[in-house]
Amino acid sequence: MELWGRMLWALLSGPGRRGSTRGWAFSSWQPQPPLAGLSSAIELVSHWTGVFEKRGIPEARESSEYIVAHVLGAKTFQSLRPALWTQPLTSQQLQCIRELSSRRLQRMPVQYILGEWDFQGLSLRMVPPVFIPRPETEELVEWVLEEVAQRSHAVGSPGSPLILEVGCGSGAISLSLLSQLPQSRVIAVDKREAAISLTHENAQRLRLQDRIWIIHLDMTSGCQLGTLGTNLQVWLIRSRGRPKVWHERSWTHLPWGPMDLIVSNPPYVFHQDMEQLAPEIRSYEDPAALDGGEEGMDIITHILALAPRLLKDSGSIFLEVDPRHPELVSSWLQSRPDLYLNLVAVRRDFCGRPRFLHIRRSGP
Amino acid sequence: IILLLVPSEETDENDLILEVTAGVGGGLRHASASIGGSEAYRHMKFEGGVHRVQRVPKTEKQGRVHTSTMTVAILPQPTEINLVINPKDLRIDTKRASGAGGQHVNTTDSAVRIVHLPTGVVSECQQERSQLKNKELAMTKLRAKLYSMHLEEEINKRQNARKIQIGSKGRSEKIRTYNFPQNRVTDHRINKTLHDLETFMQGDYLLDELVQSLKEYADYESLVEIISQKV
Repeated sequence: MELWGRMLWALLSGPGRRGSTRGWAFSSWQPQPPLAGLSSAIELVSHWTGVFEKRGIPEARESSEYIVAHVLGAKTFQSLRPALWTQPLTSQQLQCIRELSSRRLQRMPVQYILGEWDFQGLSLRMVPPVFIPRPETEELVEWVLEEVAQRSHAVGSPGSPLILEVGCGSGAISLSLLSQLPQSRVIAVDKREAAISLTHENAQRLRLQDRIWIIHLDMTSGCQLGTLGTNLQVWLIRSRGRPKVWHERSWTHLPWGPMDLIVSNPPYVFHQDMEQLAPEIRSYEDPAALDGGEEGMDIITHILALAPRLLKDSGSIFLEVDPRHPELVSSWLQSRPDLYLNLVAVRRDFCGRPRFLHIRRSGP
Repeated sequence: IILLLVPSEETDENDLILEVTAGVGGGLRHASASIGGSEAYRHMKFEGGVHRVQRVPKTEKQGRVHTSTMTVAILPQPTEINLVINPKDLRIDTKRASGAGGQHVNTTDSAVRIVHLPTGVVSECQQERSQLKNKELAMTKLRAKLYSMHLEEEINKRQNARKIQIGSKGRSEKIRTYNFPQNRVTDHRINKTLHDLETFMQGDYLLDELVQSLKEYADYESLVEIISQKV
């Protein structure tokens, strides 16, 4: 036993040893699977960080920290009980970490590897290829909450505000609004069935399913209000798991009134920028959730064109966009006076980029 | 009636943040906790300072006593009224990529660092996956730090002679020794020794007794100060 221990020590602290402020780390020779009972959380993070760095995986340290923390039952490495940092892991845990890390080596985004991520303090399931919420979008929700708080008529009365989300994805925006506006109701729309399922699942996990209608609908295909096309199927998924399929020709027959708000993080990437996106995005996330056409404006203009018929008078639209869009949207709105929409405010994100638009309907 | 003359602290009712750091004046190990409750600060304020632990570690073969220290800082958490921070005075750092950001980038690094520009005070948080949550927590910590700095100015107006110091004057003072081999705890400010360290460490009546003695002594010093100013 003694000899074996000494040999192991020599192997682990031998050539190629990496310095670390937290103690000794694995050497960098071709990784043998670490022996069970000898590896602690800190050592594993160090080991996998090294492996990721060598293979050019971005955010190597963060990735390995999240994976190890997740296997140990914590959301972040920092929130792990310090006692767990140095305790040896079981071989099951080591195997799990190895599996998750091998997916990271395939450039799978961490959020898909863990199968969950946080948004506005809510924990949401994440499933490829449904779009992963970005931190910027948390600020979009903050802005909406601020505006709602300022409008006295929208506070307190049941069913108010009534919000439409276009392109709900995982349900991040809808569910964070619902959870912080206890009287609100949301209609969430997405053209992808995977997004519809995921939003439904997240709504149930958070017990918000009673206040959300989730509709599988492509806003952009042949979408003229009043003539939606006889083949348009609208799935209305309500609470308590009883799906209702609605065939509707017109929005005006649906069982809700005009909206107080329309919120969206629509696909806004310029088409020519799509191929420059990182492999994490290109290979795993739905391109339809990103590609906004030539100037990234296609879905934005669709939403704006439909808005006047969906919104109450002086209702608002809140959008997340590319930093080049505020000017483009402003000119486009000026070219469409028939919509009676005004760009009332542009807000910057935490990096100082113009990111969010508040457009208001005023007029007939 | 005399007790009514004792001025209460501005922050006695406040919630607080407790920070512990191994070693004196900072070290590698650090943790903080948020504590709330009725008059939380008033009960906890005497715990700030250097706590000294004397014990014989299990690995010690010759039975020698080792001494280690832990520095505790009690930072009252300011209410909205206590402290107003101008958002323009803050620089918020996040590790977001250069370029377009937003949909163009997928990141899991949600660490947030806030710098209060006029004072240079920094507060960081990477405890949560949600960047917004990290920002909120960092703000809370920043407010507590700035507030304790503000309180320092108030406290500094008091006489130096006080044995029970709250605030940074007291922060590097050895206030208490926990001697495990001799099973006693001594608070050096009032020179009070309690036996039965085990029971003391459970919290409860022994700790309450000590805190009560400290309160009484602090009230006494407060009154002395008031009286001597008038004379």
